[in-house]
Amino acid sequence: MFVLGFHFPASMGNQVPDELVAEKIADVDISDVKEIKLLMGTKERDKEWLSYTNKDTFLFRAMVHYFKEENPEKLQKYMIYMNRYQMSAISKRVDAADDETMKLCHHLDNMEQFRIEVA
Amino acid sequence: MAGAASLRQIAFYGKGGIGKSTTSQNTLAAMSHYFDKNIMIVGCDPKADSTRLILHEKAQDTILSLAAEMGTIEDVEMEQARLWGKGLFDKETPGGWINCTESGGPEPGVGCAGRGVITAINFLEEEGAYDEEGLDFVSYDVLGDVVCGGFAMPIREGKAQEIYIVMSGEMMAMYAANNISKGILKYANTGGVRLAGLVCNARMTDKEYDLALELAQRLGTQLIHFVPRNNIVQHAELRRMTVVEYSPYSDQAREYKELARKIVYNDMKIIPTPITMDELEELLLAFGLEDEVDESQVGKAAEA
Repeated sequence: MFVLGFHFPASMGNQVPDELVAEKIADVDISDVKEIKLLMGTKERDKEWLSYTNKDTFLFRAMVHYFKEENPEKLQKYMIYMNRYQMSAISKRVDAADDETMKLCHHLDNMEQFRIEVA
Repeated sequence: MAGAASLRQIAFYGKGGIGKSTTSQNTLAAMSHYFDKNIMIVGCDPKADSTRLILHEKAQDTILSLAAEMGTIEDVEMEQARLWGKGLFDKETPGGWINCTESGGPEPGVGCAGRGVITAINFLEEEGAYDEEGLDFVSYDVLGDVVCGGFAMPIREGKAQEIYIVMSGEMMAMYAANNISKGILKYANTGGVRLAGLVCNARMTDKEYDLALELAQRLGTQLIHFVPRNNIVQHAELRRMTVVEYSPYSDQAREYKELARKIVYNDMKIIPTPITMDELEELLLAFGLEDEVDESQVGKAAEA
């Protein structure tokens, strides 16, 4: 079973608890990131930049982890659809109290393509 | 069973037209190119289009057509029936290699299409294709929803051990995925076949990810990957290439690379728990893909 690209053994079944996914990204360093910038869309006229700054959430940590993984030069990175849908699904459960995060999850659930940068 | 103990025999099943051959070739290309895996493709579709992107050809000669041409299957040579991939997938190119075979089938409307599958696998086993040094994976690309016993042959005979079902969020694709799961269940105890995951070859319909995920969970398996629609796949196909070869740094190549990685490391192989037709319809209703029908309106024309 794969969640956010992490492999969880088959013995854990096909629904991995959110806490175990959160454990995988617990050690990611978010101290050097103030803002996550997401470029939504592919058509020039419809592209939209989204900003996300709430550092106290699962979603922020998951996105920083995704951005930094195998990206030493910190270049803008394409977001794998499945990973971002999974980030959104978990965030909607664990960050539900935060309106800014829920608004971003709503965007992440659509069919547009996303690219991620951090500042 | 032929082949080394470490050999993994996988199969891509799914409804006709769902994009099995495109998905399987792009994924296998990524497994070979990015993860150095050596692969034999056994195309089990009478269309014989399971290998064209690896070979950069329209369609290779099928085992059944070669047998017809030569007179008998015994007269067919391995070199005629099995071709080495071109470009990145050639045996002489660094990284993994891919070799290709197609079973073929009878003329439309004549005979049993599944017979080609049986003949091809027997031929390849007898000719030692499964014993090729370094072979890591055999991949079967199989048409249909397992109603035909011939197409179930890779499952029935215990050839394909792990099944990936290519589906989408459309009703018929989900119906076929459920039916294929029934076929796997039927032979799971005798042949050891297991369902290894659903691959959603997305049509980009509303709530498609949620629907595919829910079906996977009901079947007891995983949605191993959601492959978004991207025109670059068609651009690559026009040149008879996989995206991995056509544009290795493209976004879509990254998607196939991720699916390839998951298949290489996948250990979730389960006996599926198919659902009933009523449950399938309830699922579509729950995700808003079907409007609930007032029973009193069934059979009445819109302009009544």
